Amino acid sequence: MTTLKPPKSVIGLFEDEDTAADALDAVASAGFEQKEYEILTGTPYPEGTFGEEEPIHKLYRFPLIGAACGFTAGLLLTAGTQLAYPLIVGGKPLLSIPPMAIIMYEGTMLGAILFTVAGIIFESRLPRLFMGAYDTRITEGYIGITITSGEDEMPKAEEILKKAGAVDIKRGWEQTDFD
Amino acid sequence: MSEEAVHNGHGSTNPVEVMNDLLEKGSGQKPLFWRITALLGLLTVAGIVGFAIRLTSDGLGDTPKWGYHMALFALILTAVQGAPMVAIAPRIAKAHWRRSISRAAELFGLVGVVSFLIYIPLIWVLPSMTDGRRTLWFYGELNVPAYMPQIMATLVLVSLVVTGLSLLWVSARPDFAFLRDRSQGRRRKWYGRLAHGWIGSSQQWYWQKHRLGILGAFYFMMLVTVHFNVSVDFGMALVPGWIDALYPVTHAHSSLQAGVAITLVAMYVFYKWGPYKEYINFDQFWGLGKLLFALSLLWFWFWFSSFIIFWYGAKPSEEAILDLLMVGPYLPIFFVVFFLVFFIPLWAMIWNPLRRSVWGPVTIAISVLIATALDRIRVYVGAFSVSQHENKHQLDSIPDAVLPGLPDVLIWIGGIAACVLVYMLAARFIPPINIWEQKELKLYQVHKKFHRTEVQILGKPD
Repeated sequence: MTTLKPPKSVIGLFEDEDTAADALDAVASAGFEQKEYEILTGTPYPEGTFGEEEPIHKLYRFPLIGAACGFTAGLLLTAGTQLAYPLIVGGKPLLSIPPMAIIMYEGTMLGAILFTVAGIIFESRLPRLFMGAYDTRITEGYIGITITSGEDEMPKAEEILKKAGAVDIKRGWEQTDFD
Repeated sequence: MSEEAVHNGHGSTNPVEVMNDLLEKGSGQKPLFWRITALLGLLTVAGIVGFAIRLTSDGLGDTPKWGYHMALFALILTAVQGAPMVAIAPRIAKAHWRRSISRAAELFGLVGVVSFLIYIPLIWVLPSMTDGRRTLWFYGELNVPAYMPQIMATLVLVSLVVTGLSLLWVSARPDFAFLRDRSQGRRRKWYGRLAHGWIGSSQQWYWQKHRLGILGAFYFMMLVTVHFNVSVDFGMALVPGWIDALYPVTHAHSSLQAGVAITLVAMYVFYKWGPYKEYINFDQFWGLGKLLFALSLLWFWFWFSSFIIFWYGAKPSEEAILDLLMVGPYLPIFFVVFFLVFFIPLWAMIWNPLRRSVWGPVTIAISVLIATALDRIRVYVGAFSVSQHENKHQLDSIPDAVLPGLPDVLIWIGGIAACVLVYMLAARFIPPINIWEQKELKLYQVHKKFHRTEVQILGKPD
């Protein structure tokens, strides 16, 4: 059900959890893909409460990449400095692991943290360049189901949400109160 | 619902009522708040004046003169930056009682900025390693920059502050969205920016939970690393002959202890003078009180393990360390520290009426905080006072105790006032009780009649 036209989004508001869960089943049965619909709540319900799929786990990529970069930088800094200016003291090996380990550890931590923070900022918005429909009543306890798809699919989406018991339906493209 | 249940914070029956109640409580007009803020602002200015006097009269090169400034930084690092752990550890353990106090603890992450500002002059105050002192950096044997302690301490401190700020922001984002949806005009715009597109999708909730876990783990790792760097390079390395593998861990442990203590005090302020009595109750004081008791017992173990090595070894260099820090010029301070940080918590907390009260753990927390401040003075003023000692392997003579001058007193007053000021302002604009965690609690909490009494049933998400 993908389309080349710019996406449109509608939100249906539901008063209780069971109706919202049934509505989500109806949306899935109607042929919408998992990435096209989403459930919005003002409270962190346990995962799977509404029968939604568990989000794809990408959270550890940023710290892992950052840690690898930090470790490499620490290693290059310490080993590189000592190899660039070789000074053998008392016949001991040129590369001294204990002091190198401190800097490599701190480099690893610093890289992991900076990448995590960058990842949080990146993931907070960039996967959602198109914000879709929203209603502030989500904050007041309503449960929202948004369907984001091509313009042609919108009448069908509104019909499904209405039939499933939505107390109100809002069109994202007509909204001016949320950015 | 019974009167007792209502008193214990279970009066609101659903998540929305809880949110409305908390948002209403946070939006009231508080003239006294602004008067206190103004007073704290003036005291902060007094601190800046004290710093200016110290800077112009002594410059940054006279290390012993900056002992009290260093001690203030160490105190803030220890107490304030240890506090977010009170939110992190019980959250990982999925302890429900932490929900009312996790934000109070996380807000201290913002105060970490003050800690960093106070630290900045110390970059220049700490002498370079060209003075020949013994450090962990193998200066002279390896091609290490002479300012390596400053470079590494700055890097790790910045990492800790950034992690603390990130932790607070990630945790507060849903609450910013609640405030955005409930406000108009400029407030809506600002809270909208802080909420950064939060709409409460299941994906956002899922990511937030895991981000809090990752950031919490990093915060703990960085806290330990910062304490390692600071205690070694700004403390032990300045005292000829002070070699103690356990002291950095002792320093980090003090941070956990003082972090719990300062959170208990902040919690008491919210309980006593804030409108949050329904949310902060005996459960929270009981939970943190037990933690403080355990950490106070552990303090003795750390201290004794270090002490016995110096005392039993009894080399002249080791006896000199005991002379300087414990039985010499700082003996009165050491006695008070020992009494306040270990003896009082031990004997007070084994007494049931005190332990099972609200005021008991808070009294112990104040005792621990005073002890931590005195302990940092004992260690860092003492260490800075011998930083220019010629023999870098052993203290040949013990200098007298360094008493604070007027600039030192002003710097301490100003530094502490700045921390309280930042915390108060943060608590004014960021809900001091975590709204989304309270709402989540309502999903898992049921009160049920059980024979002739009423019990609370608490679920866990997984």
